[in-house]
Amino acid sequence: MTEPAAERRRVHPITPVVNVISLLPAVVVFAFLIGPGLITSAAGVAAVIGLIVVFAVLLLGYQYLAYQRLAYWFDDAGDLRVQSGVLVHNERRLRLSRLQTVDIIRPLVARIFGFAAVRIEVAGAGDSRADLKYLAESDAQSLRNEILARSAGVRHDAGEAPEQPLLSVPTKDLLLSLLMRMTTVVLALVTVVIVVSNVVLSGWTGLFTVFLYGIPLLVVFSEFSQLYNFTIAESPDGLRLRHGLLQTQSRTIPPGRVCAVEFVEPLLWRRRGWVRLMVTVAGLAQEKDDAGTQSVLLPVAPRAVAEQLFARVMPGADPASVPMQSPVAAVRRRSPIQWRSLAGGTDSRIAVLRRGRITRRTAIVDHARVQSVRLTQGPWERWLGLTSVHLDLPPGRISAAWLHFGVDQAHELATTQVQHMRRARASDKSIKWMKED
Amino acid sequence: MNMAGKTDVAFALQGADWKPLSPKLISARRVLLVVQAGILLIVAAAVALTPAPLWVPAVIAAFALGYMLVVWPWIGRIVRSWGYSERDDDLVVGRGILFRRLVVVPYGRLQLVDVTAGPVDRTFGLTTVQLHTAAATSDAAIPGLPPDVAAELRDRLAARGEQRSAGL
Repeated sequence: MTEPAAERRRVHPITPVVNVISLLPAVVVFAFLIGPGLITSAAGVAAVIGLIVVFAVLLLGYQYLAYQRLAYWFDDAGDLRVQSGVLVHNERRLRLSRLQTVDIIRPLVARIFGFAAVRIEVAGAGDSRADLKYLAESDAQSLRNEILARSAGVRHDAGEAPEQPLLSVPTKDLLLSLLMRMTTVVLALVTVVIVVSNVVLSGWTGLFTVFLYGIPLLVVFSEFSQLYNFTIAESPDGLRLRHGLLQTQSRTIPPGRVCAVEFVEPLLWRRRGWVRLMVTVAGLAQEKDDAGTQSVLLPVAPRAVAEQLFARVMPGADPASVPMQSPVAAVRRRSPIQWRSLAGGTDSRIAVLRRGRITRRTAIVDHARVQSVRLTQGPWERWLGLTSVHLDLPPGRISAAWLHFGVDQAHELATTQVQHMRRARASDKSIKWMKED
Repeated sequence: MNMAGKTDVAFALQGADWKPLSPKLISARRVLLVVQAGILLIVAAAVALTPAPLWVPAVIAAFALGYMLVVWPWIGRIVRSWGYSERDDDLVVGRGILFRRLVVVPYGRLQLVDVTAGPVDRTFGLTTVQLHTAAATSDAAIPGLPPDVAAELRDRLAARGEQRSAGL
């Protein structure tokens, strides 16, 4: 790509204000934690408020400097450069040929003001992302389109790729599916135990301390709020995922960047035929992501719908036609509960790996994205003549393993897997996927 | 792919090109073991000087000696079990007695090859070659190589990785 280097661009001047407002609740809570004694007198209250104001002003000054430093532009090679850092100056070059995802994030405060942040992730070990915040909604959209267009190898002013809605998850289904999980049941029991024991031990005032410890069920609510209103749309630059109640998020998964997809079927979902799809995209989900919602491709849907979506993210793959095998009989003594679920196989395009009895997990792995193949054997497995084969993937929520197969089976699986991977690597052409050669 | 050898098919990658680690690594690891046990013995001696009952330092000293007696022979077995093989398209690293593992890393997937040497390793003239891919779980390390062998291996791996480099 040889387009003239574009001029430097800045984020919106409201950025320092939004950043400070987002931090204010934490500052107020902190002030109340350190100085509860001060709030008894009027002068004390004034002092605390004064402190908060002084702190906010200092924060604003710092954020203003940070805003002044933050600039981004496209260089001669067509890559994105981001300059940042107040004390330590930093200039980062993001190779758009290795782009993984472009997200638009709308945290609550920014959303109120009508602003959004753009998060760009490229493939690479460790920290390989840039957050550009905050931009006006429309600017964020057009920046995302521009990055995707440049990465795909078409002209950068090609405009937004047309988008076609695929499906959305009904709130009723999402709520019901979250309630019908073992984790939710366990968390509910824990919550009941905490509430009852507190009330028994310290009377009704004990209810207050329950709030301090945080009700475990809030974990389920946070997952609900993050996955709320989950919609998927298809566009030439990839699948667009949008979701969130308090903080809405929009992610784009470029085609051909999907390493693995996992079908997750908790026990209570299976009668309804529900499935959740998880996905691993290189470079994504490397940060602490609480409930793993960053890796969710589809929170809950009937199996047929999930399979249709799967066919779009991994074109040409057909898990149903992969010859599956089960471990030898000795596996019952290694895994008395989940042995019935253990199965796997590999064909020229994908590997299928199934495990888990209560929550059944079926991982489907693209050969071209596997980093290494690993055989392991513990003492008990060795005694029984078993071996596990692991397919190492870029960091994410999916772990792919053929667990506890017979030694000969495992050896054969690993051997064919390595051969398939070699062929898949040789024919991989996913870089600049819109440019025909 | 020739992993044959019917007795222990998956792990015994016995072949003409299966390279072992330097036996000097056994000595290096044993020196570290003696240092660890020595530190524990010094702690035991220090405790013996305090008014604590005498069985306390006795237990610490017994633990140090027992630990050394158990681990000493294991070091030899583990180092001898460790080996690697450079095949046409990938590097294979295997190791372990109780918990065994064998990693197959395609050259095209190598992102980084580290060559490191700690102070004890250096006095024995040993270095470690550590391979990194985009997966955190790949973890393939080859310790106990003479520095020139390690440097050659790194350069070979880097060159092959460059040739066969694929996207993520």
